Amino acid sequence: MKMADGSTILRRNRPGTKAKDFSRWPDEPLEEMDSTLAVQQYIQQLIRRDPSSVELILTMPEAQDEGVWKYEHLRQFCMELNGLAVRLQSQCFPSTCTQMTATEQWIFLCAAHKTPKECPAIDYTRHTLDGAACLLNSNKYFPSRVSIKESSVAKLGSVCRRVYRIFSHAYFHHRRIFDEFEAETYLCHRFTHFVTKYDLMSKENLIVPITEEENATPGESEA
Amino acid sequence: MGTNSASATGMNIKAAGGGGVGSGGGSGGEDTNGGGGSGVIGGVGNNSGGTGAPAGMNNQQNSAPQYTIPGILHFIQHEWSRFELERSQWDVDRAELQARIAMLLGERKGQESLKSDLIRRIKMLEYALKQERVKFHRLKYGCDPPQLNEIKPPADEPGIGSEVAPDSEVPYSSVSNTTWRQGRQMLRQYLQEIGYTDTIIDVRSNRVRSLLGMNNNAEQEENVSPNINGSENNKRASESQGRRTPAKKSQPMNDAMILDTEAAVMANFAFLAQTDVEMSDDDDISEDLDMVTGENEDSDVKTTKRSKGKNIIMGEDVDAEAKEVLNELNLLTEGRYEVSEEEVDASLGLGELAQLTVNNEAETAYDVSNTKESAYRKTWNAKYTLRSHFDGVRALAFHPEEPVLITASEDHTLKLWNLQKTVPAKKSASLDVEPLYTFRAHSGPVLSLAMSTGGETCFSGGLDGQIHCWKLPNSNIDPYDSYDPTVLRNTFEGHCDAIWGLSVNHTKGHLVSCSADGTVKLWSPDVKVPLLNTYSSELEGVPTSVDFVRDELDRIVVAYNSAHCIIYDTETGKQVVKLEHTKEMSGNFGKFINKVISHPTLPVTITAHEDRHIRFWDNTSGKLVHSMVAHLEPVTSLAIDAHGLYLLSGSHDCSIRLWNLDNKTCVQEITAHRKKFDESIFDVAFHPSKPYIASAGADGLAKVFV
Repeated sequence: MKMADGSTILRRNRPGTKAKDFSRWPDEPLEEMDSTLAVQQYIQQLIRRDPSSVELILTMPEAQDEGVWKYEHLRQFCMELNGLAVRLQSQCFPSTCTQMTATEQWIFLCAAHKTPKECPAIDYTRHTLDGAACLLNSNKYFPSRVSIKESSVAKLGSVCRRVYRIFSHAYFHHRRIFDEFEAETYLCHRFTHFVTKYDLMSKENLIVPITEEENATPGESEA
Repeated sequence: MGTNSASATGMNIKAAGGGGVGSGGGSGGEDTNGGGGSGVIGGVGNNSGGTGAPAGMNNQQNSAPQYTIPGILHFIQHEWSRFELERSQWDVDRAELQARIAMLLGERKGQESLKSDLIRRIKMLEYALKQERVKFHRLKYGCDPPQLNEIKPPADEPGIGSEVAPDSEVPYSSVSNTTWRQGRQMLRQYLQEIGYTDTIIDVRSNRVRSLLGMNNNAEQEENVSPNINGSENNKRASESQGRRTPAKKSQPMNDAMILDTEAAVMANFAFLAQTDVEMSDDDDISEDLDMVTGENEDSDVKTTKRSKGKNIIMGEDVDAEAKEVLNELNLLTEGRYEVSEEEVDASLGLGELAQLTVNNEAETAYDVSNTKESAYRKTWNAKYTLRSHFDGVRALAFHPEEPVLITASEDHTLKLWNLQKTVPAKKSASLDVEPLYTFRAHSGPVLSLAMSTGGETCFSGGLDGQIHCWKLPNSNIDPYDSYDPTVLRNTFEGHCDAIWGLSVNHTKGHLVSCSADGTVKLWSPDVKVPLLNTYSSELEGVPTSVDFVRDELDRIVVAYNSAHCIIYDTETGKQVVKLEHTKEMSGNFGKFINKVISHPTLPVTITAHEDRHIRFWDNTSGKLVHSMVAHLEPVTSLAIDAHGLYLLSGSHDCSIRLWNLDNKTCVQEITAHRKKFDESIFDVAFHPSKPYIASAGADGLAKVFV
C-alpha cells in the first residue's frame, strides 16, 4: 500500500489492504531507517523483494553489528518456520512420526522440557519453535535489539542446530511439503547459507542436500 | 431559649385568638429559633396553642356570669394545672434542644477532626512532592540532593532562566556549593519548563502554611477558655514553618503571583471555609447551651481540641527538625492518619478524601488532579510485557473473566497468555509473561481477533483470507504439552482476501467479519454451514473495520475506505443509516477510518481516523456529534470499557490515550511502543471485567497496564 502525502511515503498496512498489496511499498534505504527495528525492516524488505536472492539477503550492510545481524536473521528464520510448522501439522501426526528423526541415525530429544524428552516430531517442532521464540525474545538474554552481548550471541548456535532439525525432518519424511514450502520461500537454502556463512553449525550437521558441494553425511548431534 | 418561652407564655395568657393565634405563635417561635432542624420546636408550639384554645373558651364562658368562690377556685385550679402542663412541656422542649445541641456539638467535633485530617493530608502531599523532587534529583545526578526544600542562595533568584543549563552529565561527586547550585538551577529550569517555577511552589506552600496557621490561631481564639499551652506551641510551630522560607527572598515577590496563588489556595480550601462557617453557627448555639448544659460536654470539647492541637504541634515540631526525623514522622502521621481516615469515612463518607489519597500515590497527579470524576481516577502503569512474537502484534483480546489474553501477530501465530504466570524480570518495574500456547494455522500475518462471549473460543482472521475458530486451552496448560489438533475447531470458508475486522455479538454469539475482498460476512459459529449473510457496497469500496451495534442487536456498523460508515440491518441486509458528515471538506482521503466501534449502551458510533481524529456519530440521525484531534499521528485503534465511560485509543505516534467519554478529555497518555516503518500501535483493549488495559504494537510486543 503506497500513499504519497506530498513527498513523504508512509509505509503502512492500513485496514482493508489486499493481501497482494500487503507491505508493498517502495524500499527504504537502511540509512534512512531511524527505528530500533531497522535491521528487521531491512531484512524483511529484502526478502519481500525476492526470497530467492539468498546471497543478497545475507549480505551484511557495512557498519552493521554482526551480532544483531545474526540475531535478526535468526528471528526471521524462526518466524518463517512457523509456515512450515503449519503445513506439517496437517500431515505429521504423533501416530506416524512418533519420534523426531531425519535419517535413521539419530533420534532427537526435545530440549524444551526439564529432562530432554522423546517428543513426537510435531511436538518437537512446535516446542522448538516456541522455545526459540521465548529465548530470542527473552529480556534476560536479548534485552535490546540494537546491541547484543557476546554471551548471548553464543546462544544463537544452539537455536540454529535445533530448528534445522525441522527442515531435516520435513525433508526426509514429508518431502512434498518441504518442496512446496522451499519453492515459495527458499528458506532452507537461505538458512543453510546463513549458518555456513556465519559458522553457526558444523557442516556435517547440515544433512539436507541443499548445497551443491556435499550430500547427506549425517553427523553427530544431540538435544 | 428564654425569649422563646416568653413569647409562648404571652400568647397563652392573651388567649383570645384561640387556635389561629396559637399556630401563629408557634410559627413565630420557629422563626426566633432560626437555624435548621427546629421544626420539632415549631410543632410543639403548635400543640401548646391548641391546648390554649379550649382554655380560652372556658374563660369567656366563666367571665360572663357572676364570680363564685367555687368557680374562682375551679378556675385557679384549672389555670394552675394548665401552667403545670405547660411547664412540663417546656421541660420536654428543653430536653429536646439539649439533645440537639449535643448532636451539633458532635457534628462540630467531626468537622474539626476532618479539618485536621485535611491539614495532615496536605502535609503528606507536600512531603510526597518533596520526596518526588528528591527522587528526581537522585535519578538525575545519582546522589542525594542536599536538603532540597531548604534555603536557596539569594544570588539564584534573579537568574532564573537566564543561565544556560550546565552539563547535566557531570557526576555529583562532592557536595560542593557550586555543583549543588548548578543542580538547583537544572531542577528549577525543568520545573519552569513544566510551568512550575520554584517561586510559585514556594509561594504556594507559604500561603498554604500561613493560611493553616491562621486557621489554627482563629480556632484557638474561638475557644471560650483557650488552651494556653497549646496556642503557644502553635505559635512556635508557625514560626518554625516560617523558618523554612528565608525572609530575604519572600518579600519582593510579584503581587499578582501572590494574588493568583492565594486565589488558587482559597479555591482549594473553599470547602474548608464552608465548614468554618458552619462551625461559627454552631458556636452561637453552644453559647446558649452553656446556660443549660452541665460542664460535661464543654470540657469534652476542650479535651478534643487540646489533643488535636497536640497532633498538629507534634507535626510542626518534627517538621522543623532534621530530615531523618521527618521520615519517621511521616510513617507516624501516615499511621495515625489512616486510622483517622477510617473514622472520618465512616462518619461522613467523604468521597473526595479517598480521591486525594489516590492522587497522592499517583505519579502524574498534577495533570489529573482537577476535581470531580471521583469514581474511577486511577493512573495506569505498565506492568506486564508480553514478548514472544517475532513481528508486529496486530490484535489482542482479553478473556471475559480470567486475567488471560490472546495476541495475534504478523509472525503467523496467535499466543495465549496468562498474566498470573509471570517470569521474574530483572527490572522489577514490569513483569515478563511467557506465552502458554501458540496457535498455528494461518499461513500469513494474523490481522484480526475476537473473543467469544464466554471466553471458551476465539476467532482469528488472517491475511490469507482464513477465519479460524479456536478452542481456548486451559489457562494453566503446560506450554510444552503435546499438540492437540482439536484446538483448531473450525475454519470459516468464504472470504478470498485479507480479514481485517472481526467482532462478536455477545447476545447471539454471531461473528461478523470484514475482508479486503469487499465483503462483510455474518457467521453463526456453531452451525454446520456457518455463513448467514453477506453485505457489500459497490459504492463505498472495501470495508476496513466492523462492529456490532451494541444497543440494537441485529445491526452492524461497517467502516469503508470511502471514509463512510454504514449501519446494516443483519436480517434484511439493507442499509439503515449512513454516518456521513454534512460538510465534507476537500475529499475524504485523509479521513480514512482505521477502526470503528460501537458504544456499549448508547446509540453512538466512534471512529478512529487517519487524519488523527476520533469522531463520534449519532446512530439514529447519522450525524457527526463530536470530532476531536486525538493524537499526533493516525489513530489506529479504539476500545471502550464495559460501562461505556472510558475510551482507549492507540496511534502510530507510539502512544495510547485514555479518554473520559463524559467530557471527551484525555485522562492519561502512555508511550507504549516503538515504530516499525511508519506503524506503531495496532490495537488496544480493555479487560471486560478486570482492571487491565493492553496495547499491541508493531515492535512485536504487547503490554498490559494495571
